[in-house]
Amino acid sequence: MIKPENQVSIPTRIPAGPRLSIPLRFRDRRRVTILLTLIVLAYVTLMTLPTMIPNHFKLGAALVSFTENIKIMFLQPHLANTTFVTLLGALGQSILLAFLTTLIGSAIAFFFALASTRRLAPTYLVLGIQSFMAVIRAIPTVLWVLIYSVVFGLGANAAVVGITFHSVAYLTKVYADSMDELSPGIIETMQAMGLKKSAIIRQAIIPYLIPSYLSWTFIRFEINFADAIAVGAAAGAGGIGYQLFMSSSFYFNFHEVGVMVYMILAFALVLEIISYRLRSVTHQ
Amino acid sequence: MLTVNHLTKSYDGEKMSLTDVSFSVRPGEVTVIIGPSGAGKTTILRSINQLIRDDDGEILFDDTDMRQLNRRQLRQARCRIGMIFQNYNLIEPLTAIENVLHGCLGTKSNLAGIFSMYRNREKEEALQLLQKVGLGEFAYQQCRNLSGGQKQRVGIARALMQRPKIILCDEPIASLDPKSTVTVMDILRDLAVNDGISVLINLHQVDIARKYADHVIGINNGQVVFDNRAKLLSDVAIANIYQKNVNTEGSLVHEF
Repeated sequence: MIKPENQVSIPTRIPAGPRLSIPLRFRDRRRVTILLTLIVLAYVTLMTLPTMIPNHFKLGAALVSFTENIKIMFLQPHLANTTFVTLLGALGQSILLAFLTTLIGSAIAFFFALASTRRLAPTYLVLGIQSFMAVIRAIPTVLWVLIYSVVFGLGANAAVVGITFHSVAYLTKVYADSMDELSPGIIETMQAMGLKKSAIIRQAIIPYLIPSYLSWTFIRFEINFADAIAVGAAAGAGGIGYQLFMSSSFYFNFHEVGVMVYMILAFALVLEIISYRLRSVTHQ
Repeated sequence: MLTVNHLTKSYDGEKMSLTDVSFSVRPGEVTVIIGPSGAGKTTILRSINQLIRDDDGEILFDDTDMRQLNRRQLRQARCRIGMIFQNYNLIEPLTAIENVLHGCLGTKSNLAGIFSMYRNREKEEALQLLQKVGLGEFAYQQCRNLSGGQKQRVGIARALMQRPKIILCDEPIASLDPKSTVTVMDILRDLAVNDGISVLINLHQVDIARKYADHVIGINNGQVVFDNRAKLLSDVAIANIYQKNVNTEGSLVHEF
């Protein structure tokens, strides 16, 4: 029973007087703070925007050359320095790089996730692994590849290790989060039947997690594909990213860049269709 | 069979959840624990298979104290204690027969658990158990597609797969409609009478307790206030079990 002094008095009828609007929430000081912060930020942005534009910048000329380049890329794509087969091979290389790193990353991440979910692991392990992974995630993938290229030299090895490294940190987090969402009663039930930990993981946890595993791993595959392209250009890992870098920065051939952009877009579309199908299959 | 002596438990070190709880369960009988919610029924049940670690007392199951076992011994002892839950706790994406087969995994190897390796004999037993609870034709249905009553019956089949000496039921019918309630309680009663399994059930429905129990234990505020044959459960005794009790702050509380 609530003591009288702690009881909140609820008015039985709305007080008389001009009823302009009835608020849906209490006035909250936090909301005022957030609103004020946004207003200040918007003001600062608007004031500093003109200072960012260089003096010799001419908006008209810049727009014209921008549309010119866009037109060359998207309306007049054709090849000059390479063949379509070479580019297809390079695209395949990037896809395989993404596939390999996702595969290795998800396998390693699964075990880290088991060791860092609140459902199975002790708190010190959960906190330790999760904060370590957060540090890895905070540094971008491309930077990890460059760090590893100090060890392995520029090229595919550094790319595989670097992208895998970041994938493990990312997937550990999302896998562990999906395990945390499981009802504790399920694991308790299995323990009550005397099941070993291995059997609990295989028979109770995995069946529930397959849908979210598939979708998260697939999202990471998409990220890794984008990273594989960037890394190809930045760290000389090869693939379509390297070809893109050569055409745009070495030959200055934007017709060729256009072809490659279309190829990458086509594959991205395929990925999108697959992920849509995957979702409708696993979330029935 | 199962004897609980002087069981004591406090969750926060101040308020006692169980105070000196003693009772025993005989084989082949349905024993029902009744009492207001918050009285400690679930704590008692979960202390028996040590899902909850109690503070003091003795839980003799087959003459060994569950409280003294190490991890491995406890796991082995749990293999012979079936448990049924209010919200069934089945692995919903798996089929009914897969869930029933989980009951025999406790005694099998790591490898068998990981690769779902069951002997044909075990699969046959699982099918027979599903038929026994009237779900023969649902063996290959995903459990998420079953109704509440059907899920609870799969839960019973899973517990039976453990070849248990005792089945602990934590509010088994609280989420079920009246018709399913009768089905589930009839099955549990049948297990005690015909298979000689001890059945220990937490309930808050007094009428069901009267109808199905051989023995009734009444709990109020963590203490045993009634421990006798079901036919001796008089209206006075019920009023005593469900009486208004005084909580630590000294104000009167209705607990139902």
